[in-house]
Amino acid sequence: MTRVLGWLAALGLLAGVAAGFGYAPREAIQGNVQRIMYLHVPSVLTAYLAFGLVLLGSIAYLATRRPGWDRLAASAAEIGVLFTAITIVSGSIWGKPTWGTWWTWDARLTSTAILLLVYVGYLMLRGLVDDAEARGRYAAVVGILGAVNIPIVHFSVKWWRALHQPSTILGPGPSPIDPAIGLALLVNWIAFTLLFAYFLARRIEIARLEET
Amino acid sequence: MPANWSYVLAAYGLAAVALFGYWRHLARRARALTARPGAAVSHRTPNRTTS
Amino acid sequence: MTYVRRAWIVFQKDLLIERRSKEQTNALLFFCLVLLFLFQFALGPDRDRLAAALPGLLWLGFILAGLLALGRSFLAERENDCWEGLRLTPGDKSAIYLGKLAGNCVLMAAVELVLVVLFGVFYNVDLWTPAAPLALVLALGTLGLASVGTLFAAMTTQARARELLFPVLLLPVQVPVLLATVSATQALLLGQPLADVAHWLKLLAGADCVYVTIGILTFEFVLEA
Repeated sequence: MTRVLGWLAALGLLAGVAAGFGYAPREAIQGNVQRIMYLHVPSVLTAYLAFGLVLLGSIAYLATRRPGWDRLAASAAEIGVLFTAITIVSGSIWGKPTWGTWWTWDARLTSTAILLLVYVGYLMLRGLVDDAEARGRYAAVVGILGAVNIPIVHFSVKWWRALHQPSTILGPGPSPIDPAIGLALLVNWIAFTLLFAYFLARRIEIARLEET
Repeated sequence: MPANWSYVLAAYGLAAVALFGYWRHLARRARALTARPGAAVSHRTPNRTTS
Repeated sequence: MTYVRRAWIVFQKDLLIERRSKEQTNALLFFCLVLLFLFQFALGPDRDRLAAALPGLLWLGFILAGLLALGRSFLAERENDCWEGLRLTPGDKSAIYLGKLAGNCVLMAAVELVLVVLFGVFYNVDLWTPAAPLALVLALGTLGLASVGTLFAAMTTQARARELLFPVLLLPVQVPVLLATVSATQALLLGQPLADVAHWLKLLAGADCVYVTIGILTFEFVLEA
């Protein structure tokens, strides 16, 4: 089952790259740099999916104490951090030719960076607590708090940005008008979701094996 | 607007390295665990889930 | 024994310990003084630059002092083998959380008062005129910091590298509180009315509700075994 998922993911990624580079047109304003979006946006969506699963696993673990839920939460967190890092790096590389700078404290990048910090902390906590049962409980609490905090972070950063820098900079955003771009985005998103599912399945399996 | 292909390649390249690296990491860990159960120890403090 | 009474007892116990030994309060007070000098030296003699950075410095001071104070919330119980006693307390464990939280808030309030006075005097900034709205911002921000801090402190007392893990866990979660309080403080110090920062206050109040609720709901899971 996992192997099928893996092959599907590989196919999906190939289709995604083809769609992003071959099928989708060159964007009018930003040029070819905009194609990074086909990597950046699916990454962040996948990260949010991952952290949603961390929340689910955390709550379920505290409620049922079944280790399977803890494995789900831990695995999803690890992969979520990976995709968040990819999101930030690709966003930064996108920003350099577009905004002229590698980093800017715009609302989205800042919120995503905070997200990364929260879940890296989650992983650190897991690494530093020796007792397996306590680890699951503590991680679950942090996982729940981290997820619930996301909308709070979103609004605080958004208002903070509005306060400090009225947007005179044209931020890179998806062009909703062109359906070809939309389709390429969709294909890549599906591919990334498949890849995430594949990684998750393998990671959970490893966790299960470690348990025995 | 210049072609900026180097940026696109850099972004995709780094992502590919990260994803491929993680896939290899998972594969290696799985192999170690199935070859000698219970004896798989990584070189640094592992991010164990439950054990 | 009622829930409130149990929380009150925990609160009283911490206050009593502190009143008798004074070790923590004295050290924190001195730490505030050290921070004062640190910020002055870090930012240089330019008076205006310091005044402009003041809201941020004030909250940095609170956070740094808070990391020290909150991180030690459960140290007394750990060091004196009272952790088991906490765990075996009958009834809803969240009463302990609220008691600890109340104690931490009082401690933080004392620290903040000292810092505000020190900043006002040494950096020559008028903190008296906006005192009332500023106190509100301080109260909301402190509750946000202490609510999560108390919860994480209980967790990290059990972990390795706890002095490192505690800030790493707490600070990212506290970013919204920091953004809100600094923005609101800055507006207030510039003389703007409270109504202008209403959205920040609402965010803080909302966040505080969320954090305290989660603290109450999850504390028993932290206190187990």
